[in-house]
Amino acid sequence: MSERKIPKILKETEIRRILIRSGAKMDDVRADGTAARPEEEPTAVHVSPPESVRAEPAAAATPHVVPRHTIENIAIADRGGVFIAGWINDSVEELAELRIDAGAWQVTFPAESLARSGRDDVQAALAIPRRHAFGFWSLAADTRVSGPATSCSCEVVMKSGAVERHQVPLQILFDQIELRNLALTYLASSQYLGNPMLDSVACLDKFIGRQIVDLNLLISNALTGRPHVERFLSHRRSSRGSIVVCLYGRPEYMFLQCALFSGRAGIEDYEFVYVSNSPELAEPLLQEARLCAMTYGVNLTLVLLPGNAGFGAANNAAVAVSQSGRTLIVNPDVFPLDQDWAARHSTLVETLPAEQTAIFGAPLYYDDGSLMHGGMYFDGDAAISVERSLFRTNLTLRVEHFGKGAPASAHQFLASRPVPAVTGAFISCDRAWFEKLGGFSEEFVLGHYEDADLCLKSIHQGTAPWMHNIKLWHLEGKGSSRRQAIHEGASIVNRWLFNRRWAAPVAENMLGQRPTHPLLQAQPEPAATEQPAPRPAFKQPRKVAQPKPPRVDTRPRRRKMVGEPLAAGRKEFVF
Amino acid sequence: MASPMKVLLISLFHPELVRGGAQQVCYELFQALRERPDVDVTLLASADASMPALYKSGARITGFDRRPNEFLFLSRDYDYQWHKISNRLLIESYVEFLQLVRPDIVHFHHFLTLGIDLLTVTRRTLPEARIVFTFHEFLAICAADGQMVRRTDKSLCSEASGVRCHQCLPEQPPEFFFLREMWMKRHFESVDVFTTPTRFMIDHYVRWGIDPNRVAHVPNGQADYSRGLAVVERRDVRNRFGFFGQLVDNKGVHVILDAVEILRGSGFTDFVVEINGDNLRFASEPRRKAFEDFMEREARRPPSDRNVVMNGSYHVHELGSRMSRVDWCIVPSVWWEIFGLVISEAWMFQRPVIASNVGGMKERITHDVDGLLFNVGDARSLAETMQRACTEDGLWRQLAEGIRPPPSREMMAERFLEVYEADALALASA
Repeated sequence: MSERKIPKILKETEIRRILIRSGAKMDDVRADGTAARPEEEPTAVHVSPPESVRAEPAAAATPHVVPRHTIENIAIADRGGVFIAGWINDSVEELAELRIDAGAWQVTFPAESLARSGRDDVQAALAIPRRHAFGFWSLAADTRVSGPATSCSCEVVMKSGAVERHQVPLQILFDQIELRNLALTYLASSQYLGNPMLDSVACLDKFIGRQIVDLNLLISNALTGRPHVERFLSHRRSSRGSIVVCLYGRPEYMFLQCALFSGRAGIEDYEFVYVSNSPELAEPLLQEARLCAMTYGVNLTLVLLPGNAGFGAANNAAVAVSQSGRTLIVNPDVFPLDQDWAARHSTLVETLPAEQTAIFGAPLYYDDGSLMHGGMYFDGDAAISVERSLFRTNLTLRVEHFGKGAPASAHQFLASRPVPAVTGAFISCDRAWFEKLGGFSEEFVLGHYEDADLCLKSIHQGTAPWMHNIKLWHLEGKGSSRRQAIHEGASIVNRWLFNRRWAAPVAENMLGQRPTHPLLQAQPEPAATEQPAPRPAFKQPRKVAQPKPPRVDTRPRRRKMVGEPLAAGRKEFVF
Repeated sequence: MASPMKVLLISLFHPELVRGGAQQVCYELFQALRERPDVDVTLLASADASMPALYKSGARITGFDRRPNEFLFLSRDYDYQWHKISNRLLIESYVEFLQLVRPDIVHFHHFLTLGIDLLTVTRRTLPEARIVFTFHEFLAICAADGQMVRRTDKSLCSEASGVRCHQCLPEQPPEFFFLREMWMKRHFESVDVFTTPTRFMIDHYVRWGIDPNRVAHVPNGQADYSRGLAVVERRDVRNRFGFFGQLVDNKGVHVILDAVEILRGSGFTDFVVEINGDNLRFASEPRRKAFEDFMEREARRPPSDRNVVMNGSYHVHELGSRMSRVDWCIVPSVWWEIFGLVISEAWMFQRPVIASNVGGMKERITHDVDGLLFNVGDARSLAETMQRACTEDGLWRQLAEGIRPPPSREMMAERFLEVYEADALALASA
């Protein structure tokens, strides 16, 4: 990393140094902000791009004028980071860097760390016919951005050596979430001059992607650090499985699922753990949870988070408080189709070899009766873009469902078999295996790709996910609130992150519907020839229940039994 | 001596607070059972925010007007989309009420304002009680107010599906109706026996998925408002028609007004139609305006030229005097009309009924035997029928003599007691 001396006009002793380096560790900087190597002269910290794109500043010559530009927004979130946006006509002279000095902290953005986008308003105002990416924005995530400053100076530095300084008011954002969402919105709504998929990935690749991921980790860690947990118990039986459901914006799915899952053969062996990413629903969810336990006789744990921690982190938080050795990740818009699915699930787990049940999915159906999911596979799209008269290509992984839209009678998609991945709408996983895999990755923003990522981690560690034939309905996409720009931006980040992590290994031997990976070669067992009911079936008339002999479960347990005192912040109700 | 059978009737509203067919039938049953020494009956009727004076601070279930064994369920926080109550305290109060009353039979006459999940709560609280549910409309099947009338073209609907329901209510996707159906059926699993007042309803519900062995036909019964003294004047011409009911769209008053215009246009004017009813404010804007405009034009006619008279609302105790002014009762409903209490009321006073040829009307009336049927929603068909009724010699007497007495409340109570106690139904032996 090349470092630079702070210009003498700034007060070195007052400056808290922020070292932001691609891949650098925070250990390089002491708590007081000074560098870890005392023999080095303290320097202003700047964002350092990879060696391959770093350029040495031009030698100083006759002073050049900084071209027309505007710093439109510098926003910070306390202990979150800084965001910058604006435009510059660097179509002739190249921009070198942007330096922000807020007194207590400094950040320098080299040109390569900025995302560039088209600006029709600027193009028209400058009357420049050749298309150019006048717009820029970037994000630097760091918890040491804070302090009382309400304005900052911003220097625009050209490679010619020209410098122009502005005094810019700081937009103080409410919190880290707002900062992240600002970046996601820009990512989603930027006007890319080339292929949007390639261009957005390119801007993430250089620098911004890691910043968004790090900021998101800060956010999700804070949100899941102190959840509010309440348990509503209808009985004291131990659970053989934990149905874990992540709610976002649609509280009614809790009582709908409790109603439709309960009263079925084998369900008494399962507990429900609902985790909410919607803090505004806390009060109604608490009311409903109590009602559900009372009405349906289920054991229900409600985990309330103070914000949207994302799918992965929220589910991990829910699994952490579950009380069984088997975790079932279930979307809120998933409902039983096979009325005895719980009993069949228990039988599968008990009778099949461990490698076939360590992690598995199930056939899911649309409300119209056609198949929605028969397992997942990976395919690749080659995107192409033109930049400065050169073609640029990139292979992007796409996750697809086996048999999506197929008739219910398509047995080849129902057979028990190993598959490259299964959807997070329904994943049954041995709890110990789930934890060994590290749970869901919390680096994905809000939600998407966590399921495929988990399955690939499992394959990487020697166990393929399987499909087993216990059918459920999945009203895809109906379980959460409507998508906004931040969700689109999150999708872009997640796609970038997923491909960065898995594109190469998947391309090796896991692409397509018939991958050659050795773990995915087991012969599928033929599925039963039954077809799902064309519409919701009525349960048979109620029979007088015969008392069942008590069942003794002799399996070793990892978790303590229900009834032990809960930690502070956790409450338990018994009906 | 065996202890009386304890029956809890659960009603949508009390008929003295909100008039309506379902609550009227439930109350008739309550009154009939109350007179039996072998039955100990309690009524729990819902009230809603339209009656704020009845709500008492901190109370969720209260007595009603110092009447023994009559209670009010003070509904609140009602979710009209999923038909459930999310107020925990109210549900806990209901559970406590059940534990206090400890009925052998819990007979629901509705779930609106009560919550469909109250069925499941009842089952969990009283595992051994027999739960009976009487359908008074199609609300479980049809999210469009339970009418099963398509909002796309006002035609009668015979089958619900995700796509068809979405066409009527486009603000909801097909998946919503799919889920709604599962939700309703899940709670109906707690019901031991269903009843319907007409047989055609059974067809609808069986097609929807109810086990036909779990449905019994129990016609609605009422007290005889004529007290056996129906007055039938000797008249040569039977040209006086009466409408009795709410002036809302699905009751089809507009069909009568259109028929009147057709008759007048064809030169036939020797008849009169008396409109008895109210609730015009609940009609749709176009229908309400059309009615008001018609009556305004009618009022401008010389009295001798008026064919339609508006008598306003009435109470059941006034039925005798209102019926005595007419020869025929017209029931022009443009929806299925589950039972048509007004048909029974007309028959109490020996008035033949002219009705639409669908649903409960078609089932109860035998054309040319005890009444006349016309094509539903067809004003010309009604006009022709009215003209026939006025002009065909002997028709009125023939039809009046063909009228059978409508079911009494005692007959209805007997039939329900059979349902409460029956082991003969196939399901009971399962």
